[in-house]
Amino acid sequence: MRHKNNEDRVRAALEKVWLASRPEALSRLAALEDFLAERRSGKTNEQRHADALSAAHRLSGSLGMFGMSEASSCASEIEMLLSQSVPDITKVTEQVCRLRKLMEGTRNS
Amino acid sequence: MPRTLLVIDDDQDIREVAKTSLELVGGFRVVVADSGQRGLMIAQEARPDAIILDLMMPDMDGLKTLAQLKHRQETAGIPVIMLTAKVQAARQELVGQGAAGVLVKPFDPMKLPEQVCEILGWDALGKDDTAR
Repeated sequence: MRHKNNEDRVRAALEKVWLASRPEALSRLAALEDFLAERRSGKTNEQRHADALSAAHRLSGSLGMFGMSEASSCASEIEMLLSQSVPDITKVTEQVCRLRKLMEGTRNS
Repeated sequence: MPRTLLVIDDDQDIREVAKTSLELVGGFRVVVADSGQRGLMIAQEARPDAIILDLMMPDMDGLKTLAQLKHRQETAGIPVIMLTAKVQAARQELVGQGAAGVLVKPFDPMKLPEQVCEILGWDALGKDDTAR
């Protein structure tokens, strides 16, 4: 590590990046919720499933960088569930609800 | 003179955080690319000291990009660190295909430069203290 001052600069820069990317993160969460809403209505759309899987993967990869490790783990769990050929929609729903709470409960300024 | 790293990832957040971390904490010079194809072009032009390459990308994924980098004479000698969330299953396969090592997503921005140096066997963060 270099100077503590640089670490402070990194933290400030990360805060800026998070504020700018939060809408995108929430739209990825919405993609998961759209997938679930469609499944609950009895429809199956492979593209929607692929979009949800991609959204979970991206959330898993990015949330942890912003200090949201629990939310990142939750997104990983969703990605794992969605990777199965027949996803357990009850479990996915539980985890997506949990993810929303985690994302809304932290760093939402 | 600082070492140059090329970060190839289709996710803008990852590119921005990695660049911020590697520049401010590590003291590296960082260039970025948002796709494998663009990464190949930049690698040939900028000749970075190392490349951090995302595994899962649309169109040309990390494995295809790695193969191209290792195939081209101008870039074959540049060490490539793969960036992936699926490290446990992939590490040996990726190293077997020419990767210098594997970084796990999500990474800790404060520790990323140290992890890069550890994988590459570099002593000083960012600083190129070898005659090139």
